[in-house]
Amino acid sequence: MSMIQMCRIAKIYDNGVPALYDIDLQIPAGDFAYITGSSGAGKSTLLRLLYCADRPTRGQILMGNRNITRLNARKIAFLRRQIGFVFQDFKLLQNRSVIENVALPLQVQGVSVKETRSRAFELLQYVGLEYKMQRKPLELSGGEQQRVAIARAMIVRPKLLLADEPTGNLDYSLAQEIMEMFFRINRTGTTVLVATHDTEVMRLLPQRTIALDNGHIISDTRPTDVLSKTAIDQSQETV
Amino acid sequence: MKRLRYFIQRTFLNMIQSPLLSSATIGTIGVALMLLAFFTLIVLNVQNLTRQWSREIQVTVYLEQVPSTTKLQQWQEQIEQMPNVGHVTYVSQTEAFELFRKRLGRNDDLLDGLLPEILPASFEVELTQKFRSGHGAELLVQELKKNPAFSGFRYGQDWLKRYDAFVFLLKLTGALAGGFLIFATLFIISNTIKLTIYARRDELEIMTLIGATPMFIKIPFLAEGALQGIIGALLALGGCHALYFFFLKRGLSALLTTTAAGNITFLPLSVQAGIILLGFVLGICGSALPLRKFVRM
Repeated sequence: MSMIQMCRIAKIYDNGVPALYDIDLQIPAGDFAYITGSSGAGKSTLLRLLYCADRPTRGQILMGNRNITRLNARKIAFLRRQIGFVFQDFKLLQNRSVIENVALPLQVQGVSVKETRSRAFELLQYVGLEYKMQRKPLELSGGEQQRVAIARAMIVRPKLLLADEPTGNLDYSLAQEIMEMFFRINRTGTTVLVATHDTEVMRLLPQRTIALDNGHIISDTRPTDVLSKTAIDQSQETV
Repeated sequence: MKRLRYFIQRTFLNMIQSPLLSSATIGTIGVALMLLAFFTLIVLNVQNLTRQWSREIQVTVYLEQVPSTTKLQQWQEQIEQMPNVGHVTYVSQTEAFELFRKRLGRNDDLLDGLLPEILPASFEVELTQKFRSGHGAELLVQELKKNPAFSGFRYGQDWLKRYDAFVFLLKLTGALAGGFLIFATLFIISNTIKLTIYARRDELEIMTLIGATPMFIKIPFLAEGALQGIIGALLALGGCHALYFFFLKRGLSALLTTTAAGNITFLPLSVQAGIILLGFVLGICGSALPLRKFVRM
C-alpha cells in the first residue's frame, strides 16, 4: 500500500518562481527514502507540499487513500497530527522545558495530562534525554536538541516522519547518531522521508534516494542500484 | 472543560514564560490609556465648570406696567410652559428696589427720596440645560417678544458671545486632541501587540506544525491580549488617579486660593468601566489582527 502518491505535481510560487515540475512519486508505507539535491532543487518544497504548508499549482497528492491537495485549515491540522516533523533548526519552543516541548503535540490533541507526561517521559528515555527533561532547549547541545525534536515527532506515533535537513547543523558523529535513530523509528513501521544533501550520510547508510534538480526528479534509486552503479563506475575507472 | 482549563493555564503561563514581552505590552497599554484617561478627566472637569457657568445664563423680561395678579400668574405659567424654560421667578418693583439698594451698599443713600416705582417689575427666566447658550437665549427672546406687554429683555449678550466662543473652542480642542489621542493610543497599542506576536511567530509556526487548529492556537493569545488590556487599563486608572490626586487635587489647591480645586472630581464609574472595556477590546483586537497574518496553515 502506498503511503504517498504524487501525480504530475507542479509548484510555481506566487512571485512566479517555479519550484517543482511534473513530479510523479510513490512512497510505499514503511519505506525509508532520502530526497536529495543541491540548494534550490525543490527538496523543501516537496516536503512542504506533503504537510500542506503549500498547495501544488497542479497535480494531486494522495496520503494513504486521502487526497490532501485541497484541505481546509482544520483538516490540515488533523492531518498533521499523523505526521512527525524534524527540522534543521529543531523548531523547539525556547521558553518551555524539554518535556513540555515533547508533550506539546499530545496537549494539542487534548490527551490527559497524566498520559501526556508518561508518554513524553517514555520518549525522552527512548532518545536518552530523560535526565535533562526540565532543562530549556538552549541549555542543550545541537545533537540533544535534535533528539528532543525527534521525541516530539514520535510522541504522536506518526505514520509518516518528515525530516528536512535534520543533520545540517550537526557534526558527522551526531549526524550518524540521529540517522540511526530514524532507522530505528522506520523499523517500527513509520514511513520516513529525509530531505538532505549530506552525501556522506547517504553513502554510509544507503537507502532509496530520490534526486531532484531544478524541480525535476532526475533519479530514483535503491541501494542495490546505487551499488551496481558504483560498481559500473569503478569498473569504468579501472578500464 | 479540559480545553477551558488548558486555555486559562496557557494564558497565564504564556505571560509568565515571556515576562519581558508581557510587561512591555502591559506597560504600553497602561501609559497610552493613562494619557487618554487623564485627558478625559480634564475634559469632563472643564465641562463641569462650563456647566456651572451656564447656570448664570438667564433672560430678564421687563414689564411695561405691572398687571393684575391673575394676569401675572397667567403670564408666568405661559412662560414656564415654553420647552426651553426651566424656572421663572417674578421680581416685583419693591423687590427690585431692595435688590438695587443692597447692590449700592454704602451708597444706598442715593436712593433716598425715590420710590420703588422707578424700577420696572420683571420675570427672571432660567433656561433648560440644552438651551443655555446665546442662541438659546435669543430663541426664547423671539418667543417672548410676541407679548407686547414685555417691554425689554436683558440676557448679557456680550458675556454670552464670549461664553459661546469659549465653549466652541473647548469643544474643538477636545475633539481634535481627543481624536488624535485615541488614534495614537490605538496605533501604539496595536503595534506593540503586533511586535510581541511577531516576536513569538516561531511559537505560532511550531503550533501549526504539530497539528493545532487555528482557533486552538489563537484563543490563548487572544485571552492573553484581553488580560493584558485589562491589567493595562487598571494600571492606567491607578496612574490617572495618582496624577489627579497629587497634581490636580493637592498641587492646584496649594497653588490656587479659590475653591476651584475642590470642585475637581475623578472620572465617574461609567468612564472608568469604559476605559477597562477599551483596554479589553484593544487587547483582543490588537492580537486578532496580527494572528490572522501569522497563523497560516
